[in-house]
Amino acid sequence: MRLLVIEDDPLLRHSLTEGLREEQYAVDAAADGPEGLAKASESGYDAIILDGMLPGFDGWELLLRLRREKTTPVLMLTARDAIPDRIRGLDAGADDYLTKPFDFEELLARLRALIRRSSGGSTSTIEVSDITIDIAAKLVRQDGETVPLTPREYRLVEYLALHRGCVVSRTELYEHLFDENEDSLSNLLDVHVSNVRKKLGASFISTRRGHGYCIE
Amino acid sequence: MMGRLFQSVRWTMLLWYALILLALITGVCMLAYRLASNDRTAQLDREIRSFQGSFFRTLFTVHPLPNKDDRASTEDLRERLRDPGDLASASPELHQLFTSGFYIAFWDTDGTPLYTSPNAPADLKRPKPSKDTQYVDRGKLREILRYDPEGLSSLAGHDVGAERGELIRFGVWLGLGGGALWLIGLGGGWWLAGRSLKPIDDIGRTASRIAAGNLNERIEIANTDNELGRLGQVLNDTFDRLSDAIERQKRFTADASHELRTPVTIILSETQRALKREREPEQYREILGSCRTAAERMRSLVESLLVLAKQDLPTSNGTRLTCDLAEVTAGVADLLQPLADEHATKIVRELAPAPVHGDPHSLAMVVQNLVSNALVHPPAGGTVRIRTIAQPDSVCLEVADSGPGISAEHLPRLFDRFYRADSARGQVNGHAGLGLAIVKSVVESHGGKIEVDSSPQGGTCFRVTLPLEGAVPPPWLQFPGQNSVWGGWRQGNGEHWLLNTWLPYWRSLQGTGRTAYLDRFPPPDDDWREWIDHLKTRTAGQA
Repeated sequence: MRLLVIEDDPLLRHSLTEGLREEQYAVDAAADGPEGLAKASESGYDAIILDGMLPGFDGWELLLRLRREKTTPVLMLTARDAIPDRIRGLDAGADDYLTKPFDFEELLARLRALIRRSSGGSTSTIEVSDITIDIAAKLVRQDGETVPLTPREYRLVEYLALHRGCVVSRTELYEHLFDENEDSLSNLLDVHVSNVRKKLGASFISTRRGHGYCIE
Repeated sequence: MMGRLFQSVRWTMLLWYALILLALITGVCMLAYRLASNDRTAQLDREIRSFQGSFFRTLFTVHPLPNKDDRASTEDLRERLRDPGDLASASPELHQLFTSGFYIAFWDTDGTPLYTSPNAPADLKRPKPSKDTQYVDRGKLREILRYDPEGLSSLAGHDVGAERGELIRFGVWLGLGGGALWLIGLGGGWWLAGRSLKPIDDIGRTASRIAAGNLNERIEIANTDNELGRLGQVLNDTFDRLSDAIERQKRFTADASHELRTPVTIILSETQRALKREREPEQYREILGSCRTAAERMRSLVESLLVLAKQDLPTSNGTRLTCDLAEVTAGVADLLQPLADEHATKIVRELAPAPVHGDPHSLAMVVQNLVSNALVHPPAGGTVRIRTIAQPDSVCLEVADSGPGISAEHLPRLFDRFYRADSARGQVNGHAGLGLAIVKSVVESHGGKIEVDSSPQGGTCFRVTLPLEGAVPPPWLQFPGQNSVWGGWRQGNGEHWLLNTWLPYWRSLQGTGRTAYLDRFPPPDDDWREWIDHLKTRTAGQA
């Protein structure tokens, strides 16, 4: 899962991106309105965390402009907690609204809910034959036993499981599993897929040659 | 209940009104009664006199005088009174008078009765000797008594019982009429008092609604020229100011809490992240560093808020001393030199001595805010020019940078609390947008003003003007207090200074062209008199 954090305060931006990376997300960051809008419209993010007050143009303005082209889930994170501000944010196209100071766990839960909703799911666990993917705990279990996965392997499994039954292209996987700073060598994905197959069984991920990967 | 009744303005007004009206009506009624009574008595007296005249005419008609032109003597009268003849039948008019109750009696000089009319009451007495004619009320009788020491005394009277009764009836009617008038007046007064107090009630009700929190409501004023209209106007003005103050307070509190949210968020987010799993010491250090930066930002914000809150208090003006603004500015510029180096900015000082009466700490804060803004905001590599200028009636501080200027849209709100021209919150330097608000607040509490000029070519220039009126004036020489040494001083340019300083420090400045920074110091070890003498000789020519 790849997220974009748009926040002008350097300390908070750093704290958010680090915290989210530790939660197995690929995270990009932007410091002002124009940069945030450029990144958000360029790449496919699974969710965007958007601050209200930004230099350049503010979060509400950014939302209005972004919604002309993208439907990426957006969680607004701002110090303005007045009801009109919330209404303005939600009406401009925000999917959720959280005021500062927030609880980090709550932010994570809301992000999970946002991503789940946008991919059509409704619970935080996905079961594929004998394999259970717990999105909240970021764990994969096989017959009740936790399977040790690296963060990127987990991201791969989670993304494919959330898009279960669909063929996900390599480009899309690259977009959603790696952040802008990561070196995305073209065979890196194959390495991760083969590692996951070793851990969870060869038939867990099927390859559609020329199209991409899929969890049936 | 009664107590509350008498506290009511309406009832009090009515009570006074009733008393005054009662006194007035009683007065008028009594006057009317008195006048009517006097008039009636005077008429009666006239009637009695005319009866007397009639009696005498008849007396002399029955027994005429021998010579018609002679004056009747007392003897003539006495004769005729002894034998009056049938007077009643001689004159029908007199007969009529006798029957309607008029009576008359005469006594001789020695007191023997000469004549008594048949209808006279039995208890008639000879009048006592008196020079004047007497009018006497005796029971229901009204009598006129005349006494002539050489001749006869007479008494003529009439039964006035009927007239008295009439007068009493008139009095009763008058009383009833007055009472009715009083009651009608009371009713009118009650109505009038209620009518004139109604606007006050309205004002009271509106005011209590406003006090209950409905700050947008105002008293409706029908007529602005009368007393109540003016009262309403005054109250409305007060409410306007009050609601402004509350609005400002609300906005300030909202802004302050808003500004505190970001650092609190950082601390919460970082600590939650840190506690989630075991980490390397290096990571803990990094997280603690972030927390510390956020906490420092909060501290500086809280300090700024405290400064502002203090400046907002009308009483706290700090310690007011006469100090040199140039001195204060130089001190601050020294402190900020490292910041200037960091931004590769040159500080140019043009500091002329500028005595001012104020709180040196607050003034230093003003300079510090202005200079650090000028250092931080424009791009690196510029110049910051600091000038102090002494003018005849004021002192001026200018801080000018060579940056790209502030765009015109921001200028009007530049001194607002929490206003930031770049709208980017949480800059690396942690400015909360309170610096210029503090500057303005301090300058205004010193009775001065602050202006800003900005253009893309000429950079931004802040100009603080402080009045000189507070500066300590010229007792040109004063002697030491308990802890410090005071001295009056007259500058070459005609300005008067008061020095309050420590002797060795003052001495060390002799000949340097600088003036002592005015502050309190411990008493000098050596004899201050020497210094005073020195000061005397130095100032002798100038004072």
